Amino acid sequence: MSNIRYANMCHWKAIPYRQIDNFRDFYYEDKSNSAYYSDWDRILRYQSALGFEGIELAPWDMADLLPLFGSPTEFTAFAKERGIEVIGMFHGAHAAHDASHFDEVVQAGREAVDTIVEFGGIHMNTCPTSNYFGTGPLSREQVRQCAKALNEVGRYATDHGIMVGLHNEFFCAINRDNHREFIDLTDPGLVHYCVDTAQVAIMGEDLVTFYEDYHERICTFHLKDTGTPNLPDEVRYSQDPEITDDGTRWFWEPGEGVLDLEGLYRLLKKHEFKGWMSIEYDGTPDLLASMALTRYYLDNTLRPVYD
Amino acid sequence: MTAADFAISLDMVNRHYQEPNRNRYESKYFWEELYRLISAAGFRAIEVPYEPVWQFGGRSGVPFTRYCVNAKYGDTARYRSFLANNGIDEIAGVTFDPNLFMRNDNLDFYFGATGHFAGEALDHAADLGAGYFAVSPTPYCGRVRHYHPNLDEASFIARTRELLASLAEQAERADIRLAVRNEYWSMLRGDRLFDMLDGLPGSVRIDADVASLQIGGTDPVVFIQDHFDRIGSVHLTDTSFVDDDETWKTANPEFPARRPTQVYRDLGEGSVNLKAVYASLQQLGYSGAITCSCRQTRDHVRALLRMRAYIKNQLAAAH
Repeated sequence: MSNIRYANMCHWKAIPYRQIDNFRDFYYEDKSNSAYYSDWDRILRYQSALGFEGIELAPWDMADLLPLFGSPTEFTAFAKERGIEVIGMFHGAHAAHDASHFDEVVQAGREAVDTIVEFGGIHMNTCPTSNYFGTGPLSREQVRQCAKALNEVGRYATDHGIMVGLHNEFFCAINRDNHREFIDLTDPGLVHYCVDTAQVAIMGEDLVTFYEDYHERICTFHLKDTGTPNLPDEVRYSQDPEITDDGTRWFWEPGEGVLDLEGLYRLLKKHEFKGWMSIEYDGTPDLLASMALTRYYLDNTLRPVYD
Repeated sequence: MTAADFAISLDMVNRHYQEPNRNRYESKYFWEELYRLISAAGFRAIEVPYEPVWQFGGRSGVPFTRYCVNAKYGDTARYRSFLANNGIDEIAGVTFDPNLFMRNDNLDFYFGATGHFAGEALDHAADLGAGYFAVSPTPYCGRVRHYHPNLDEASFIARTRELLASLAEQAERADIRLAVRNEYWSMLRGDRLFDMLDGLPGSVRIDADVASLQIGGTDPVVFIQDHFDRIGSVHLTDTSFVDDDETWKTANPEFPARRPTQVYRDLGEGSVNLKAVYASLQQLGYSGAITCSCRQTRDHVRALLRMRAYIKNQLAAAH
């Protein structure tokens, strides 16, 4: 059995159907490839065919996904029939730096944990607080407040068999200047870390050094590449920088950017990492092509280093 | 109103559902090129769907809220100026759909968020100089039932009336026409919409979406003739869908679960008698807005040209 199991973070936009049984008729209505991206049955089969055994869900998909399937357990069973496990769900701890929002942040975190339990997942990768724009720079007290809220959510999660993994975004109010301070303020027994390889590099961390320093805290990864590490403050701290006005992409498929992913894998081997790794394809125009491209890179470049 | 004055709805861009290349819909450059293409296709007026989802999560490249417009252009005036410089000199109307806020078992959340954002949308519509504000009065009936299986329907309808009455007052102050959309999936389907309107100020009108009328079992031409005085805006939409197994009751009725099909077709590709609809509006002397919508098109650029070709060769040619 491999030490690393691969999943995909769900970056599909809303998928309107569970299963299209009249596929040929549906296709012939307008003879477009929309038919190929309209049901969960095919989406999950693509993923299974390409060797991704897990899916990490997104909270913003729940309002459409749950009415479609009826309940988390029904979705999980549907995915399992196609060889896919639900490994968890992303979460955003919005306004966690603000003491007046503490109860609300903890309650939202607990509800997200409950949802993940229903799906049968184990990971809740969590953005620590709001975006830098309109919020930052945070005071030391606000950073401590953030850690306090995440510790509380982490306690509930741990009690329910879920691992909270801090997931920093390059545009988060927790950023280059307080990122490590924040991690160190959280309780290692309750709060883990999900390395988003591109996000931490864009924020200004050296990916390999960061993993070496924090490998004991790492519970999982969001694996993706970037061609633009170490973006300047004026980009990271600007309003809504994730989606650019001119279509510039921050994120690329593993191997299509400049990150030392082979170096990272050598460290994974050194520290004997075991667990799930979610591939992220945010920003791609073609999720299916990105999935296939990534599978080739994994099998031919990264897995020979450490599997 | 002649065919040359038809507006086109930006709902032709499939921004919510998966398809190849949809990532570009979240960037400003996509929309700025689209305005020029709309103009090149012969349309000078657009309709904007007001969708608060784009201001949550940093997707402000989609110009569908006040926040997004302010983030990218500074203010509404600069946005309108940009549009005018790219061939769009009128925003015919703004639409608002509350489905986004029907997402949990808390009705106070639903009515609170819907009231807040619908009010914001109406203010934005006024700032954009829009002629109408078309609001979907309820979420999908099946979606409401999913989150509220034991719904007190009378109370829900009463709170909806209260919300619409508040919007009506705001619309009168802003001198903008409030039109309530008729939709085949609504809790106010068919005659129930008229029951609601009877309890609202006379300024509140109906938005006649002709494909939705046909799917709901109403002949759109007869509807227009019978209720002409109450029509505030018209959506030219097309469909071949026949709802013979109560899809309208399902959680996502625009995507029939038991028999997947493209409910809304590009104009001229479905079975709605659009020529008769337009003829009827002409005969009755309709002077309000007519907006073309291809909300589920598989290719928005093709849809643009299909619409223009249909209008030129079928609708305008017939009159």
